[in-house]
Amino acid sequence: MFNFAFDSIGEAFMMQSANGQYHGIYVWSVVFIVLTSLLVTFFIYKRKIRNIGKKIK
Amino acid sequence: MIKKFIHQFASPKTYLFQVDRAYPYIFYASLFVYIGSLFWGLFLTSEDFVQGNSYRIIYLHVPASFISQSLYLAMAFASAIFLIWKVKLSAYLVKSIAPIGAVTTFIALVSGSIWGIPTWGTWWAWDARIISTLILFIMYLGLISLHDSFTDYEKADKFLAILVIVGSVNIPIIKMSVEWWSTLHQTASITVTEKPAIDASMLYPLFGSIIGFSGIVFCLVILSSKLQILLREKNKSWVKDYV
Repeated sequence: MFNFAFDSIGEAFMMQSANGQYHGIYVWSVVFIVLTSLLVTFFIYKRKIRNIGKKIK
Repeated sequence: MIKKFIHQFASPKTYLFQVDRAYPYIFYASLFVYIGSLFWGLFLTSEDFVQGNSYRIIYLHVPASFISQSLYLAMAFASAIFLIWKVKLSAYLVKSIAPIGAVTTFIALVSGSIWGIPTWGTWWAWDARIISTLILFIMYLGLISLHDSFTDYEKADKFLAILVIVGSVNIPIIKMSVEWWSTLHQTASITVTEKPAIDASMLYPLFGSIIGFSGIVFCLVILSSKLQILLREKNKSWVKDYV
């Protein structure tokens, strides 16, 4: 259950499947979009809270 | 008695001080679980024999999809509390959850589209599950715009609460769409009543990613509600002391 599915970082990046297709581009695009969306949302709210805090002060 | 209890513990001031204390614990625990589960799912599970490695998108798509629907249900619940007991914190929460719901639905739609390319051979299909999820996304955007278009917050809160409750009819439609209609989207792999259709080695990281993602999104809701409280209660003396 805890064995690495890939032998190298390159393989993990490309994610070649048994049918010969490379799925890394799809998987890593989604990882990037999800993490970026979360980070940007956190950043926006933190900034808005800081700004309203300054105005109230 | 219930009304008195709710009003006592659901004052914006009490809520703000409580969530401020809980926030760092929830955030770091969720981040740890989410990153750990993603690492497990992306690198340690074996390839799916039908979908190949593209199935690993499940660890990002399913949590977002699950949360986008759960957030709407939370909004409907808060709306009901607001309409029945006039708890203003509930109205603040409804307004706070909507943008976060829009973000998670956006993630669910985009990740599903990208997953569709290697799996279905197309990034979009006019399929019942996808359309009902798109409607959910449009509803979130519509609710945000509607509330922002009012100058009177009390009226806006009431309209929003009623519309959220009416719109909640879409949630069972999303859930059951894959059962009621013939769709490209697969049926649920995990149900409460039946044994999961996926192997345990793939299931555990999926549960982890759902829990971790839920915690992170919960933190976003905390931040969003904090902003809403500061905006609406800015003239109160306790807010001046708080900031």
